[in-house]
Amino acid sequence: MAETHSLQDMRQQAAVAAKVFIQRDYTNGTVCQFQTKFPSELETRIDKQQFEETVRTLNNLYAEAEKLGSQSYIEGCLACLTAYTIFLCMETHYEKVLKKIAKYIQEQNDKIYAPRGLLLTDPIERGLRVIEIAIFEDRSLTR
Amino acid sequence: MPGFSGGGVGGGVGGPAPPRPFRPSRYVPVSAATTFLVGSTTLFFCFTCPWLSEYFSSVIPIYNAVIFLFTLANFCMATFMDPGVFPRAEEDEDKEDDFRAPLYKTVEIKGIQVRMKWCSTCRFYRPPRCSHCSVCDNCVEDFDHHCPWVNNCIGRRNYRYFFLFLLSLTTHIVDVFGFGLVYVLHHRQQLDTPHAAVTMAVMCVAGLFFVPVAGLTGFHMVLVARGRTTNEQVTGKFRGGVNPFTNGCLRNISHVLCSSQAPRYLGRWRSAQAVDVQPPFLRPPLTEAQLEAKVLDNGIQNDRHSTRSKSSLDQMESQSADAEPPPPPKPDLRYPGLPRADTEESSLLTEAPPTPSMYKYRPAFSSPGRNHTALTHPNKMIRGESLDSPSPSILHSSRQPSYRSEPSSLDGATVLGGGVGARRVGGERGEGPGGPGGTAGGVSGGMSGYSLTGRSYTSYPSSLVLSTGGSRSSSLRSAHTTHNPLATLHSEGTTDTSYKSLANQTPRNGSLSYDSLLTPSESPEFESAAHELSPLKPRAPFPSATITGQSEVALSSSTPLQGYTSPFLSAQIAQQREGQLLQGSATFSSPHRAYLRAVSPPPLSSSGPPETQHLLKHNQDSSFRALRNPSSSSSSPGARSPEPPVSPPPRGLSLSKSQSYTGEAGPQHKPRPAGGGSVLGGGGAGGGQQAPQSTSRLVLANHNTSKPGGGVKKVTGVGGTTYEISV
Repeated sequence: MAETHSLQDMRQQAAVAAKVFIQRDYTNGTVCQFQTKFPSELETRIDKQQFEETVRTLNNLYAEAEKLGSQSYIEGCLACLTAYTIFLCMETHYEKVLKKIAKYIQEQNDKIYAPRGLLLTDPIERGLRVIEIAIFEDRSLTR
Repeated sequence: MPGFSGGGVGGGVGGPAPPRPFRPSRYVPVSAATTFLVGSTTLFFCFTCPWLSEYFSSVIPIYNAVIFLFTLANFCMATFMDPGVFPRAEEDEDKEDDFRAPLYKTVEIKGIQVRMKWCSTCRFYRPPRCSHCSVCDNCVEDFDHHCPWVNNCIGRRNYRYFFLFLLSLTTHIVDVFGFGLVYVLHHRQQLDTPHAAVTMAVMCVAGLFFVPVAGLTGFHMVLVARGRTTNEQVTGKFRGGVNPFTNGCLRNISHVLCSSQAPRYLGRWRSAQAVDVQPPFLRPPLTEAQLEAKVLDNGIQNDRHSTRSKSSLDQMESQSADAEPPPPPKPDLRYPGLPRADTEESSLLTEAPPTPSMYKYRPAFSSPGRNHTALTHPNKMIRGESLDSPSPSILHSSRQPSYRSEPSSLDGATVLGGGVGARRVGGERGEGPGGPGGTAGGVSGGMSGYSLTGRSYTSYPSSLVLSTGGSRSSSLRSAHTTHNPLATLHSEGTTDTSYKSLANQTPRNGSLSYDSLLTPSESPEFESAAHELSPLKPRAPFPSATITGQSEVALSSSTPLQGYTSPFLSAQIAQQREGQLLQGSATFSSPHRAYLRAVSPPPLSSSGPPETQHLLKHNQDSSFRALRNPSSSSSSPGARSPEPPVSPPPRGLSLSKSQSYTGEAGPQHKPRPAGGGSVLGGGGAGGGQQAPQSTSRLVLANHNTSKPGGGVKKVTGVGGTTYEISV
C-alpha cells in the first residue's frame, strides 16, 4: 500500500509543508556565519549531527571566502593596477568560494536532504541572511 | 540603481526593488561632479601639461594621467557598483511575523547588544549595520551613506572604491593645483595668454573643491581606522560606548582595502533546482517522547511538552541558549488556511502555544494594501489567534468566545507550522510546563528564540492578550518571567515595544482608551474598537507624529521620567543611550510597553490627538503602574482613571494596544536621519516597578522585563516615540 502510494507520488514532486529559516549568527560581528542551533521542526526529519555538520561546513566555507589572505591582497592590487578592468575577466575569490558552496549545497541536497524530504536553499539567494530549509510533506506516512 | 559588478549578470534572483520613477534632479550633483572632474582635468592636460612636459619632464603628465585614471575608475565603480543591496525577502520568510513580530530584534555582538530593526519595505530584520536607503529604496549592507555626488549608496561592496576615490581625488586636486601653480609662477609675465588664464581657472576650481574633498577624505580616514560607517558616526551609535564591529585599526584598514570583493545579491544566476524530492522519506529514529508527542492535540500539552523539552534541552548544546522545547512533530493534519509554518524568526519552534494577544504588528510599509488586508482580515488574525488558544488577537479580543472554540481545529496547523503566529510570540508553550519554571530556561539565550518560553497562559487569558506581543523579545529576558507569566512575553531584544506591524500603521481611531481597557464598563467599546481596527486605513503618520512629539515633550517634562524633551535630539541620544544601555544592562523595559503606552484616549474619544496624547500619557502610566499613579500629567483632556485591572479589559487592552501601537509605529517608521534608531517609546518607566496586577499584568507584561529596582531611562525618539530603558 505504501509502495503504491509512493509510486503514485513519484509522478510529482512533493509539496512544501513548511519552511525553516536558519538565521545568521552575529555573535562575531558581521562575518557570515549561520546558527548551528538545531531547529525543532527538523527533529523528526534529520539527525541533529548531520544538520550541524552541514551548517558548520557552510560556516567554514564562508569564513574562507571572507578571509583576508594573500589571494585577496593580490586580487586587490591587480584590480587597482588595471583600473578594475580585471573584474571583467577574472572571478573574484569570494565568487569562487560561492561556487564551491553552491556545489556543496547541491551535493548535500542530493545525498542527505532530499531523501529526507528537505531542501536547502543557497543562502546567497536570500542575501546571505538565512538558510532556507523547505520541509516537504510526507504523504507516504500516516502520522 | 545601475548594477555593475565584476561577476556575471544572470537571471535575477531575489526581489529587486520595484522600478522607481525617474527623477532627473537626482542626477544633477553627479553630472556636476563628473563635469568638473573631467572638464578641469582635460583643460589641465591640454593647456598646462605640454609646457610642463617640455620644461621638466614627460613624467609629469604621465603621472597625472595615471592618477586621473585611477580617480575616474574609482568614481565609476563607486557610481555604478551595487553597494550591497539586499533582495526583498520572500513572502514565506516573514509569514508568521506579520502581526506579531516586534519591531526590533536584539542580537549580541561581541557582548554588545545591537538592535535589528524590521524593515517593512524589504520584509526582514535588517542585519547589523544594514540600513534602508530612502533614496534608493533598498536595504544596503554595511550602509555608509547615500552619496549624491555619485548618485549611489555607499555600502559594503563599494565603500572601498568610494574611499579610494576620495583619496585619489584629493591627490589629483593637489597635483593639478600644484602643477598649475608652477606654471603660473613661471609665466607671471604672460598671464594674459589663454593658457595661463585657463590654468588659473583650473586652479581656482581645484582650490575650491579641495577643502570639502579633503575634509571628507580625512573624515573617512578616521572612520576606516575606527571601523565605523558614516551612518554610525552621524547617528552617534557608538559615541558613548564600544563599537562591536571594530577589529583594531590595522585590521579595519585591511578589511576595507584588501578584502575580497563581496558578492552581489541581486541579479545572480540562479541554478535550477535539480533535486527531486520524492517520498518516501528517510526518517531518523524517533525517541519515545517524540512518538508520544505525535498525537495531535490542541496545543495544550503539558506533560508531553515538558518531557520533550527536557529531552530536547539535553540534546541542545548548540550555541544558542534558546533551549525551547521543540514542538511536537507536526501531524499530517494541516489547517487549510495555514499554508506553511514559517519559522523565520525562531527556528526552535515551540508548539502552538496559545498566543497572547499582543501582537507585534509589522505592516508592510510598501504594501499598505497587503498589510491592510492582513491586519484587517479577520481570518488571518483568527488563525494566528487560534494558535494561541487563549490569546485573542487584538482583533479577536472582541470575539473571544468564538476564538476559544477554534483552537482545537487550528492547533494542528499550529503544530504543523510550528505555530505560525504562536511561535513568534514565543514559544509559548501555553499550557505546557506552565509557570515560570519550564520556560525560564528556554528563554535565555538565543537571539533567535523569540519564542516565549512556554508559560501557562491559559490561566491568564486576559493577560495573554498583551503577552503575546512581546513574545518575540521576551525570551532573553526570562529573568522577569518567573514572577509573571506574562513577563516572558517581553520582547527579548526589543528595547522598545513597538511592533513591526505597527511600524507603518498610522494612528487609528483612538476610540480605545487605555482607561477603557481597564474598566470593564468600557468593554463594549472594545468591540467597536475592533471594528474600527479592521478597516484600518493608513493615515499620514506625520500629524500624529508631531502631535506625539509635542505631547511627548509635554509629557516628559511633566513627568518624573527621565528622558529627553527634544524629539530630534532624543533620537540621537536614544542611540547613544541605547548603546550605553546595551552595554550596560541587558534589560530593557518591556518591549511591549510601547503599545501599552499607546493606549488610548478616554473612552469615546476618537480623535487623533487625544489618542496620541493618551499614548504618551500611558507611556508614563505604564511605568508607574505599580505605583498606581495616574501621573498622567499629559495634556490629554480625558483624565485617565487609575487603572483597575479587570479581566474583561484584556481584550480591549489588546485592542487598544494594537491601535496605539500602530499610531506609534507610524511615525516611527518613517526614515529619519537622526532617528534611525528611535524606538517606540516604551510606555512607562522601568519595568521593574510594575507590580503584577490582574489586568495590569496584561499591560505590564512588557513592563516587567527590566530588572527590578533598576533605574529607568526614558528615551524619546524622533516622532515622539519613547521608551524606557532600565539601566
